[in-house]
Amino acid sequence: MNVVFAVKQYVSKMIEDSGPGMKVLLMDKETTGIVSMVYTQSEILQKEVYLFERIDSQNREIMKHLKAICFLRPTKENVDYLIQELRRPKYSIYFIYFSNVISKSDVKSLAEADEQEVVAEVQEFYGDYIAVNPHLFSLNILGCCQGRNWDPAQLSRTTQGLTALLLSLKKCPMIRYQLSSEAAKRLAECVKQVITKEYELFEFRRTEVPPLLLILDRCDDAITPLLNQWTYQAMVHELLGINNNRIDLSRVPGISKDLREVVLSAENDEFYANNMYLNFAEIGSNIKNLMEDFQKRKPKEQQKLESIADMKAFVENYPQFKKMSGTVSKHVTVVGELSRLVSERNLLEVSEVEQELACQNDHSSALQNVKRLLQNPKVTEFDAARLVMLYALHYERHSSNSLPGLIVDLRNKGVSEKYRKLVSAVVEYGGKRVRGSDLFSPKDAVAITKQFLKGLKGVENVYTQHQPFLHETLDHLIKGRLKENLYPYLGPSTLRDRPQDIIVFVIGGATYEEALTVYNLNRTTPGVRIVLGGTTVHNTKR
Amino acid sequence: MATLDDPGEVREGFLCPLCLKDLQSFYQLQSHYEEEHSGEDRDVKGQIKSLVQKAKKAKNKLLKREGDDRAEAGAHGYESFSYGGVDPYMWEPQELGAVRSHLSDFKKHRAARIDHYVVEVNKLIIRLEKLTAFDRANTESAKIRAIEKSVVPWVNDQDVPFCPDCGNKFSIRNRRHHCRLCGSIMCKKCMELIGLPWANKLTSASKDSLSTHTSPSQSPNSVHGSRRGSISSMSSVSSVLDEKDDDRIRCCAHCKDTLLKREQQINEKEHTPDIVKLYEKLRLCMEKVDQKAPEYISMAASLNAGETTYSLEHASDLRLEVQKVYELIDALSKKILTLGLNQDPPPHPHTLRLQRMIRYSATLFVQEKLLGLMSLPTKEQFEELKWKRKQDLERKRTMERQVSLESQRRLEVRQSGLSSRAANGEVTSLRRGPAPLRKAEGWLPLSEGQGQREDPDPLLQQIHNITSFIRQAKAAGRVDEMCTLQENLRQLQDEYDQQQTEKAIELSRRQAEEEDLQREQLQMLWEREREREQEQFRVSSFHTRTRSLDFRELTPFQLEPSPGPRTHLTYALDLDPSPPQSGTAPETPSPTVARVPGQGMSQHSDTSSLNPFAQGLCSPTEEGVASPAAAEAALCPAAATLKEYNPFEEEEEEGEQEKASGNPFGDPDRPGPNPFDEEDDHPPPGPSSPPAPGNPFEEPVCTNPFEVDSDEAEEPIEEELLLQQIDNIKAYIFDAKQCGRLDEVEVLTENLRELKCTLAKQKGGPD
Repeated sequence: MNVVFAVKQYVSKMIEDSGPGMKVLLMDKETTGIVSMVYTQSEILQKEVYLFERIDSQNREIMKHLKAICFLRPTKENVDYLIQELRRPKYSIYFIYFSNVISKSDVKSLAEADEQEVVAEVQEFYGDYIAVNPHLFSLNILGCCQGRNWDPAQLSRTTQGLTALLLSLKKCPMIRYQLSSEAAKRLAECVKQVITKEYELFEFRRTEVPPLLLILDRCDDAITPLLNQWTYQAMVHELLGINNNRIDLSRVPGISKDLREVVLSAENDEFYANNMYLNFAEIGSNIKNLMEDFQKRKPKEQQKLESIADMKAFVENYPQFKKMSGTVSKHVTVVGELSRLVSERNLLEVSEVEQELACQNDHSSALQNVKRLLQNPKVTEFDAARLVMLYALHYERHSSNSLPGLIVDLRNKGVSEKYRKLVSAVVEYGGKRVRGSDLFSPKDAVAITKQFLKGLKGVENVYTQHQPFLHETLDHLIKGRLKENLYPYLGPSTLRDRPQDIIVFVIGGATYEEALTVYNLNRTTPGVRIVLGGTTVHNTKR
Repeated sequence: MATLDDPGEVREGFLCPLCLKDLQSFYQLQSHYEEEHSGEDRDVKGQIKSLVQKAKKAKNKLLKREGDDRAEAGAHGYESFSYGGVDPYMWEPQELGAVRSHLSDFKKHRAARIDHYVVEVNKLIIRLEKLTAFDRANTESAKIRAIEKSVVPWVNDQDVPFCPDCGNKFSIRNRRHHCRLCGSIMCKKCMELIGLPWANKLTSASKDSLSTHTSPSQSPNSVHGSRRGSISSMSSVSSVLDEKDDDRIRCCAHCKDTLLKREQQINEKEHTPDIVKLYEKLRLCMEKVDQKAPEYISMAASLNAGETTYSLEHASDLRLEVQKVYELIDALSKKILTLGLNQDPPPHPHTLRLQRMIRYSATLFVQEKLLGLMSLPTKEQFEELKWKRKQDLERKRTMERQVSLESQRRLEVRQSGLSSRAANGEVTSLRRGPAPLRKAEGWLPLSEGQGQREDPDPLLQQIHNITSFIRQAKAAGRVDEMCTLQENLRQLQDEYDQQQTEKAIELSRRQAEEEDLQREQLQMLWEREREREQEQFRVSSFHTRTRSLDFRELTPFQLEPSPGPRTHLTYALDLDPSPPQSGTAPETPSPTVARVPGQGMSQHSDTSSLNPFAQGLCSPTEEGVASPAAAEAALCPAAATLKEYNPFEEEEEEGEQEKASGNPFGDPDRPGPNPFDEEDDHPPPGPSSPPAPGNPFEEPVCTNPFEVDSDEAEEPIEEELLLQQIDNIKAYIFDAKQCGRLDEVEVLTENLRELKCTLAKQKGGPD
């Protein structure tokens, strides 16, 4: 169920199968991203892969001493490129892997192009998604829907991605979907269709409890992506933006050249792996420890190394030291930038109000707080719009709704038209009318008592009160209490036992907050493994 | 049962389900139930039964699932059952995801295509060969034309009104041209020409593969074909007029294309670029490192731990070897990096990138592996380490022995009456002791010439065999086998150590028993000798005290004139008449000195008959203790000797004669090496029988002469180390330069300079 590992295994297998010798990895735009998420350059270099080429780049040189490993999505363009490539092969031998199901006719036309018999392998390796964390994958599709319905191209891509995920994990699941979303239903049907069509592929050894695929729609919980996050990974994504594990720091004032773009990968950055789910305050102290540790290890550069033992120690520690200094400077920069943004944008205060909007039902104080923050010049127009959006979503039907007034306030603040339009767009997207379930008011007695108890206990952290709606959904699902009239099964069969392997897919994108939730659920629930996926991974900018 | 639903109180224990009486155990519950409720409603019983069955079922189900999971997920199935959930990072490794191969399909389609293609190419080559088979220069054009037409039937001019390639209409000005290879028609613009040399190259290259085809289709066929293909037209005849370039063959673009591809294939077959050759060498080196480095690392680790499984020289040789390979890797990758840089047309940027990447990966490789290459201890350090380890072992053993001794002694007190008989029994059993040694001596060398040592213990033999296996495996270059063997060896050694400790305990128990016997004799002697002894003591105590001060100089001095066991023998013999003057005296410069000579003397004077077995008894155990202690004493300043001897003092009660025999000088007729030697200095390091000058026990005592040696030896080692460091730093400088970290470069160069200075100084020093 580890998606990173699944893709990594595919890539390793490809490289292993091609035997010894210098290799070039021939990829397209998407597979480049897929591979880069699971392998670092130095790691792949050790496996004798020295060049990385795009199949569509024209000025590739003829290098007959290289073996080519082609990892491509089976699109029309890629097949055409490949046919051209095979007609005039630039490399000595080709190992071709498609990331998804390829049609027989494409195979035929490829075979006919291979007049020089350079192809040694043609396979389908279903690594057709971006593996972000072991339990989180994305398809990097922005704007997958037009209005309420699928963009047909994106629907097929999403179906491909989702089926590839199932194949790579060797799961043939039962499918449940969110009834209130047409898109979810469509996707569920498409996936089912593929499973039926490629039934031989989905012939896995049956487990006692079949895995479950739950398809949700973002519009059911539009709140979560609108909140400011305080865990490291989520925060970095929210404030700086993570794209295929890369963070663009070029906008940071006074950034040095080699830190323009840094890679945050839990696979080979221990500090990040340990801290990605911790909140900002903890990160602060951890990074202080890291610094201290680093200072300790830092060789006294200006000091003379007097004895040979000193020298030896220095030399032996040097590469370690270098690696550590890289990590330290990276994280110090990132955290420094985060805290700069936090104070600049007054995010602590904003976040507090956001959480209040999301979790409490006190209309008048919420309205007051929003109004107060709108007057605050430090709050950016972006955050202001966000606050209003949250307000609009929560108190959409409230008797004394004063959304128009707030929008006027926004205008007065000088918030651009674009953001103001967003408010109504969000309400339309994730408003009550659309939502299948009630996001704000607790539904049953248990939840009410829980909230009550929470109220008594006092909130331990005002900035992380909000629990994504997904948590409740999954919790119910695990306990077998998820209502079938809201999340029906596709097909006649239903799951009686407690589900064990769950794949959740959120149309419209998941968030890192939800990733954290799933991570915690995985850790606390015995015997249950959950993988979260989305068409993309969100931050508020969307 | 209804009461159970009562949430008010929860009771635990063996409650009777009917009356909720708490019964202390299951059996009581059972009997209670049978007594009290046997007449009551049977339903309840049935209920309980079904409940139990249900529980059983559930358990079975759970177990079954667990089994399934385990089968599915390999060794990790238990994880999901251990407790709460699992961090996604810890999820069990899954098998490779689904794959589907299209290769057979692909091959099928390709085969059909390739057959076609190969036939095409071969046809063209055959025709080309025919076209070039005759002497073109000296044949008139008409005849050439005839031959050319004979090779392939030309397409009728009338059939082709337009050029099939560019679509232009043929006319008087835009004339038709025939491809000589396939007979098709094209216009002049689309026509290609094949030079004769090129054609020759193609045909000669494919001659090998085509020889079977070409030979039968030579002249007779072509003559025949000429008749068949002689349907010529007026226009084609007229086209002869402007064909002057007879040394070239006309052909269409398609045929030329096919031929070009063919040429490319031929070229590739013959040509391996420089980079490939270099790269292959590079990989070879890397493989070598991958082989050797783990071997070295295990060696270095063991040496650094003070073990003596490997010899220091061998390890440093290996280190040198590995380092040389690293240098080679560095040099090779540098060569690859600069490959073709000075060529006139600079290489393609991608080639350069490839070269850079190879260099980068080589640097990474060296960096990573070189780091793991821990340094070796210097000879001196190694001795120290060895010794430390020995001492650790000894200390542990002594502790164990003492504990066992104490308990043993208590036992002895009770069984004192039996002790003498028991001792006698020991004597016989011990006399038999050496016999298997002799036997072992007989066959052991069979296993491998290296063992002149006798291994009385099957475990030892095993260890022995395995070391020889390792050697063989090493010779055969089987790294994996070596690893497993070494693992085995380690386990065996551990096992052996344990066994030996047990034996030591056993032996010490016997000693204690024997001691009892001796004590009786001693008592008698004690009184008899007291007077004389006291007299001598007055002299000797004074004597020993002075000696103990400069005993470091003294002992080696004593040893030097006549090394070897013969002196020991004389010493041992000397013991009897004048114990205080013998080697024992300096060995025990303790407050108990008074007792030492007495006991030692008495021991030797009247237990001469016991001697063989006594020493057989005690030497094994005591040697180990004595030698490190002695070594320590020898190494430490004389002032500290007293303190260092503490462990000895504790043991003095065990029997002073062991002191004497524990001292190697006093152990002339020790029955060969005994198992306890190995504990201290392990199987590989050569024979350690007493006559050998390399006896480890002599070493500590003659530290002084040795120290000089090791001082001398220290110099070159340091130098070597320095050189290594310099190399390393150089590598880092290179690396830093590449990364453009100037500050680091500076620091490193500074270091380098200093290192060089030190080196120069050191070199200057001894000269």
